[in-house]
Amino acid sequence: MKRAFALTVNGEKTSFEADPAMPLLWVLRDVLGLTGTKFGCGIAQCGACTVDVNGAAMRSCVTPVGTVETASIRTIEGLAADPAGAALQRAWVGEDVAQCRYCQSGMLIEATRLLREQPHPTDPQIDAGMAGHICRCGTYPRIRAAIRSASAKT
Amino acid sequence: MRGGRGAPYDDAVQTRAQWLFSAGAAFVLVAAGDAPVRASASAFAPGPWLAFHDDGTVTILAGKAEMGQGVRTSLPMLVAEELDVPWSSVRVETATPSDAIDMATSGSNSVADGWVPLRIAGATARAMLVAAAAARLGVAPATLKTEGGAVLDPRGTRIPYTALLADAARLPVPANVALKPQAAFTLVGTAVAKADARDIAEGRAQYGIDARLPGMLYAAVVRAPHASCTLRGIDERAARAVEGVRNVVRVPSGIAVVADSTWTALRGRDALAATWDDAGCATLDSRAMWKQLDDAMASGGRVTLSSGTPNAASAGLRAVDAVYRYPFQAHVAMEPLTATVWVRQGRVDVWAGTQRANLVRTEIAKRAGLSPSDVHVNVLLTGGAFGRRIARDFILEAYEIARNAGAPVKSVWSREDDVAHDMYQPAAIHRLGALVDASGLPVVWKHATATFHLSMFGALDLNDKDVWDGAPWGGYDVPYAFASHEARYAPVAAPVPTGAWRSVDYPGGVFARESFLDELAHATGADPLALRMRLIPSPGNVQRRAGPVPNGDRLRAVLRLAAERAGWGTAPQARPGRRVARGIACNSYFGGAMTATVAEASVGDDGGVRVHRVVCAIDAGQIVNESGLRAQVEGGIVWGLTAALHDQITFARGCAEQRNFGSYRVVRTTDCPEIVVIPVRSTLRPYGAGESAVPPAIAAVANAVRAATGAPVRALPIRTSGTAVPA
Repeated sequence: MKRAFALTVNGEKTSFEADPAMPLLWVLRDVLGLTGTKFGCGIAQCGACTVDVNGAAMRSCVTPVGTVETASIRTIEGLAADPAGAALQRAWVGEDVAQCRYCQSGMLIEATRLLREQPHPTDPQIDAGMAGHICRCGTYPRIRAAIRSASAKT
Repeated sequence: MRGGRGAPYDDAVQTRAQWLFSAGAAFVLVAAGDAPVRASASAFAPGPWLAFHDDGTVTILAGKAEMGQGVRTSLPMLVAEELDVPWSSVRVETATPSDAIDMATSGSNSVADGWVPLRIAGATARAMLVAAAAARLGVAPATLKTEGGAVLDPRGTRIPYTALLADAARLPVPANVALKPQAAFTLVGTAVAKADARDIAEGRAQYGIDARLPGMLYAAVVRAPHASCTLRGIDERAARAVEGVRNVVRVPSGIAVVADSTWTALRGRDALAATWDDAGCATLDSRAMWKQLDDAMASGGRVTLSSGTPNAASAGLRAVDAVYRYPFQAHVAMEPLTATVWVRQGRVDVWAGTQRANLVRTEIAKRAGLSPSDVHVNVLLTGGAFGRRIARDFILEAYEIARNAGAPVKSVWSREDDVAHDMYQPAAIHRLGALVDASGLPVVWKHATATFHLSMFGALDLNDKDVWDGAPWGGYDVPYAFASHEARYAPVAAPVPTGAWRSVDYPGGVFARESFLDELAHATGADPLALRMRLIPSPGNVQRRAGPVPNGDRLRAVLRLAAERAGWGTAPQARPGRRVARGIACNSYFGGAMTATVAEASVGDDGGVRVHRVVCAIDAGQIVNESGLRAQVEGGIVWGLTAALHDQITFARGCAEQRNFGSYRVVRTTDCPEIVVIPVRSTLRPYGAGESAVPPAIAAVANAVRAATGAPVRALPIRTSGTAVPA
């Protein structure tokens, strides 16, 4: 059953009605119009829908909105407010990472989480940290390069 | 909508990109209300491809669908080069399909097709700006130069283009313009970051799935598991009971649930609990399909090429043969199939990522009883396509749902829908045979292929000469010179939907050919690189359908480059507990792009394969955007690795047994090797490079695994026992 929600997304409180079981992904995309977060698989296998929930990179496609009501949520649209996120966004442009680009917002949220936890990750740490994300275009080498580049500048 | 301007989807969007065009490429004054770009657009909008603005920027249209291959960057670069405008002043917009602009995007053709017309468009505009400046200065146009968005005279006077727009618009269009010599290029051939890089990094880039319209509804469809199935029953009441479900409608492809969000539509669709009578496909499984191919191979098919002397005396020659199996594979582009359609009185609007925007326009017009000009197709960014979005099924289906909806409808496929209703890369069997002389040279070469035809392009018609011409890919157009060469082809009507997939039929043909050649080298103790060098004619023609291209030397050159960088002939770095080796492969993509790839891979005791490093040298003709070219090759290699290591769709009762990324594995960061790309500088025309890196990447990995284990790789995905004893 739908009920009223007040969710904090990218630092702003926003009110709407939704079924508490509705995945955060669809709340963001269809209810709030924040389409930067992408639908890829619906079962937490590809990482395209990743958003930051209280500092953790979460798969919004399997996260019922009712479970994150009191959380602080950050999506790609608000990532620039995070210093590591902003550094990564610059590195993403600098390394010309994206091809079709569809998976990249999830990648950027995850990479931000990684740099927050490990400011200077080793290559195996980068690979392990990004292992939950699929890029069918095969941008992995440039993703590694961009994370290294952002890491070197922080 | 694009370029971060955040314009809503409304009528203004429709007209914004209605670029004025006349058949003679005449400059057309932009009439009020038809402003192609924005309010500040100047009167100088020459032809369909570019429009100058008073603020010094110039909008250039990309006339192909952007699906990751970078056409929103590379195509405008061709125009900007001839215009002599700074890249930073260029605003890129995606074109709209029309009678004048064909946005068909496939076959690695975009840059090759745009190479001359887009440069002419830029050079024509430039010539008119120069003529306007010459008239104002009272000098001959030939004395003037252009640079950085301005005309320069020998005295150093600099007139910005913005000061010349009104004058230029009044001038006649020159019939012939000189194009820049390639040596004078300052933009083309450099590495330019993608036009949308910042929008992507900041989450503003708009994809097909991101379309949003006032009052929009969302739809999900349950489709028959196989074309032969008939509906047994659905629980429509259960679907309608889901809060937010608005309607349940029958469409030709199945039953659609229309709702107030994507999630609700998907839940409503699941609640339908459709059951199907699948007696018609009960025995249609992978085993039955392989038998169809085996039977076709046994039938012999048809000889498509017979050259040299097939009956050459075989005395003293060593006979070798092998059979290779290539599986069904899925596209699984990251953005699931989706389309938004709004049907109103006398007009239809479509928002979608599509590789065939013009066909979408005409096919919907036909269904709606409208003129194509009443169908407005907005080609949004596409989260990968790889051939799947050549088909219009998902867009026509959305139209059928929307036609009586009274509101815009966005249809979204789940990942499970995408895997279950893909138009798969078809399975194939390749049988190769050779007779080898005492020096180890194959003098007789036979390549026979049995495969399912591509149903995406219609029913199999054995009387259509295009079915046979140049088939099988990679087996007909072999880049090697043999004393005798026979190609055979046995196409079979596909029992499940099949379609174009990145590099289409090349992956299987090249995997088989390059693996077989490696096996021959291994059997005769020859070096696989040296054997290829002996066989590639120099100079020689490597071609398929197209006219002769003297390119044997180009293929030899990329082989040398890749081998040298990969350390071919030296021992690879030892890895404890693993057998490490390198494999090499090469291919000519339609006689244009030449690609050579060396993979370094290892096999563990458990049989697990790891690819450590891939080096690829490519000569794709003139480089347009070096960053884009490298990206396409990197991506093609990763695509090829997935094909070598993971890709495989199997069938039971007419349906794919894989459902989502849990059961359909693709390469991730953790199994992505170091990749080195060596682009060759060339002054030949650009050939396109979206696909050419895929086939040799697969074969190079297979050959590395063969070299590591001693056991030939005869089927994909590669499975090793890990304990094979080197022969």
